[in-house]
Amino acid sequence: MKRLLILIMLIAGAFPASVFAHQQRAAMTKVLFNKNTGNLEVMHRFYLHDTEHAVQMLFDKRADIRSSADTQELFANYVSQRFAIKPLNGPELKLRDVGYEIERIYFWVYQEVEAPDNIEGLTMIHNALRDIWTDQVNTVNVEGRGDLRTATFEGDVELLSVEFTGQNNP
Amino acid sequence: MFRKIVVISTLIFAMVNIAIAQVQQTKGTFVDKFRQLDEILPTANTYRTAGGEPGHEYWQQRADYVINATLDERNHRITGTVQITYHNNSPDTLRFLWIQLDQNRFNKNSMQNKTETYNSPSNLKGFDEDPARLSLGQLRRMQLQEDREFGFEINSVTAGGRDLKHTIVGTKMRVDLPTPLRSGNTTTFTVDYAFNIIESDVMGGRGGYEHFPDDEIEGGGYLYEISQWYPRMGAYTDYEAWTAKEFLGTGEFTQEFGDFDVTLTVPADHIVASTGVLQNPDDVLTEEQKDRLEQAKIADSPVFIVTPAEALENEKEGTRDNKSWHFKAENVRDFAWASSRKFAWDAKGYNQGGTTQPFVMAMSFFPKEGGELWEKYSTEIVIHTMEVYSRFSFDYQYPVAISVNGPVGGMEYPMITFNGPRTILHDDGTRTYTAAEKEFLIGVVIHEIGHIYFPMTVNSDERQWTWMDEGINSYLDSVAGREWDYNIGSTEPRDIIDYMKSENQVPPMTQSDSVLRLGPNAYTKPAVSLNILRETILGRELFDFAFKEYARRWMFKRPTPSDFFRTMEEASGVDLDWFWRGWYYTTDHVDISLDHIYQMRMDTKDPDIDYARRRDEFNQKPSSLYITRNQEEGMRSWVERNPDVRDFHDENDQFTVTNKERNAYNSFLSGLDERERREFERAVEEDKNYYVLEFSNKGGLVMPILLEFEFTDGTTEFMNIPAEIWRRNHLRVQKLFVFDKELEKVTIDPRWETADVDVENNHYPRRIIPSRIEAYKASPRNGLKQRDIMHDIKTELKDPDEDN
Repeated sequence: MKRLLILIMLIAGAFPASVFAHQQRAAMTKVLFNKNTGNLEVMHRFYLHDTEHAVQMLFDKRADIRSSADTQELFANYVSQRFAIKPLNGPELKLRDVGYEIERIYFWVYQEVEAPDNIEGLTMIHNALRDIWTDQVNTVNVEGRGDLRTATFEGDVELLSVEFTGQNNP
Repeated sequence: MFRKIVVISTLIFAMVNIAIAQVQQTKGTFVDKFRQLDEILPTANTYRTAGGEPGHEYWQQRADYVINATLDERNHRITGTVQITYHNNSPDTLRFLWIQLDQNRFNKNSMQNKTETYNSPSNLKGFDEDPARLSLGQLRRMQLQEDREFGFEINSVTAGGRDLKHTIVGTKMRVDLPTPLRSGNTTTFTVDYAFNIIESDVMGGRGGYEHFPDDEIEGGGYLYEISQWYPRMGAYTDYEAWTAKEFLGTGEFTQEFGDFDVTLTVPADHIVASTGVLQNPDDVLTEEQKDRLEQAKIADSPVFIVTPAEALENEKEGTRDNKSWHFKAENVRDFAWASSRKFAWDAKGYNQGGTTQPFVMAMSFFPKEGGELWEKYSTEIVIHTMEVYSRFSFDYQYPVAISVNGPVGGMEYPMITFNGPRTILHDDGTRTYTAAEKEFLIGVVIHEIGHIYFPMTVNSDERQWTWMDEGINSYLDSVAGREWDYNIGSTEPRDIIDYMKSENQVPPMTQSDSVLRLGPNAYTKPAVSLNILRETILGRELFDFAFKEYARRWMFKRPTPSDFFRTMEEASGVDLDWFWRGWYYTTDHVDISLDHIYQMRMDTKDPDIDYARRRDEFNQKPSSLYITRNQEEGMRSWVERNPDVRDFHDENDQFTVTNKERNAYNSFLSGLDERERREFERAVEEDKNYYVLEFSNKGGLVMPILLEFEFTDGTTEFMNIPAEIWRRNHLRVQKLFVFDKELEKVTIDPRWETADVDVENNHYPRRIIPSRIEAYKASPRNGLKQRDIMHDIKTELKDPDEDN
């Protein structure tokens, strides 16, 4: 039996009650093999309202992601530290931070790296906000390389892999 | 023995047969996306018609309640007695009754607790192993469940002084009747019960208490939102009989209507907000409070019954005395209440007119933590919601509509809702709120008050189908949100595309507890689909008529999904089986691609015209690279250098017209009868542009094709091709369009109405659609609208010299 060290953290419990879309506790990430730029682009989309509560738990009770560029940057760094991607047959990719922005009801965080060749799939980790909310669900759609593949990070899922099928060109 | 085996094998055979009894396409690859829902929808009967209406023998059960309950603030405990009078309106004889004991789900031995999966990522970053984690919240919950017993304590179940045998099965209790309850008869029994109230912030849930440790009162203040607080009748229906599904936390409630007579004994300094109408104001309100309530009935803006200052004073000390508040509510499917000495209370009368409920009292109850945000908006939004929802369905049916601020983020009950938004406390003691929190308040109050229509009045079965109340209500709350303020961030079709194209999802027609990703599944996708049905497929007039008819047919009754689907179809007069099939029974998404455009021109058959056109077309092709380079090098061909070798063929080309072609043309013309000749000449004279557009359906979901044509003269034209274009081939269709003008480009769904997931293939000629990252790099934007300017505006201007 694998022995796990239990680390207690300040983390909000999972409330199965789902009532009104206040804090959605759901993020959507698009990993795109962009044919136009040759880059592998990572676009994380969080609900602004989620991030508003999150930064107050993560950084400072008074942190304000809507008005403070520092808080926005801090949150973007926080996200990039909790997202990792690795080809099935290669080392972890070093993602560059591109930026972040608020758009309507969303907070976006952008990362990218030159798209590696000849990869058959990806292994990913997406722990953003899952360290403060156990019911946070992060969904990743991988697009632009064969058929769209989805990885959903929820519950006790740590690593997820997707394999590409239906590729026209490697 | 042999006989037995035969019976068993026959049974198995029959089951296999049922499993494959569906109509199947067993040759070729044709898929009929327009197949009627015959095999999927239940067969119509005398209870529910084929048109989606209650049938001529429609019935539903009824349960009336008399409840006496006491709130023990010291122990956070409810003790009570409920007398239930159950009316068996079904045609069946009942030998036992099922009672719902919803509090039991919080017990540590509940099915929900036992089946909860480990819920924490044990790896924070990197692909190396890190320690596993348990959240403090999870620990606190486990400890609370160890220290305190949750769930109902059933002390007795009696009828006429006799104990009734009762058996608790999870969140349900079977009560065996001494004599069978025949159709049309009534039985009355009494349950003596108690339970420990959960702490909402620790256990979650749809009610509970909230602790305010910083309040001046010794030990801190408390606020109670009390729901699922009495043993209540299970549902017995024509489509499912008794509901057997355990309350697992997600699939909410399935309820019967009835009248309530409720007496609540609480600390004497508490204010109680409740479903129903207060029966004994003289016992529990001051003369001044009663006067203020009268003023509020005719006021232009909300009037305080208890002012924030009075509430602040009241919350500072407690009392050992109790008071009893008496409420009555008619024809409700549930009853909830809230109680605290922290409540400020405002009210405003709403004269909605009509005959059923011309006057409604809109009220809000909130602690200082809700503050100015609540003062300003809550009660007004309650009234706004009734105005909008009534226009789309029916008049609000109850005498009061209440919004309470407490620990629950957002939850609905008949006449009363619990809503969470709060202000931010600053070091100087002031409170402000962000634009986001204001939007949250507007959104959540509209949504929860909206639920008093769906499902509190149109009584859908939430235990089975979350989308029926959440999806329909999310569609309407979006309508009402925008009517409050056009700038409110509402759901747009494009907000659902990432979910709809993803792999991990289930169809909305899935039992509530089995739904993956409840938010987009049961709220957003159905809401977007109804919006598309209204704005794009049916149009507002047909949709609104049909929707209102659904609401009218099923108010105070119990609709199932088929009743909704059938009513919308019958009342709009439009076949929508394809739409329900695609959006509710599959996980298909919308992706229509414009793959090719072929241009055609009418031949005149006149060789002098047509051959000249062919020559032009030939000459437009690029000339040979070999010849061009030879010419650039100054080379000339033999024929060019020696003109004397030129002959007839050098002067004429393959497009030269001879009388042979002219004779053929004349004989073609003379072969036409008079009508054919007129038609032909007209077509030649008009000389229109003919285009064949080729579309493919990459997402699977058949939808209308919305087209924008842009012409070379700068004008545009819109066209809406109904979804039925896909009926013979759901993968690829071609369609001919004829224009006077010449086409420059075509766009599918230019206004992003249909949740089409891939915009790039909507353009012809194709255009490069930059990714978000590319767009961001081109012009980084900032969300300036989103700052807490209400607080920041108080920032003192600094002398720049001081910093240096």
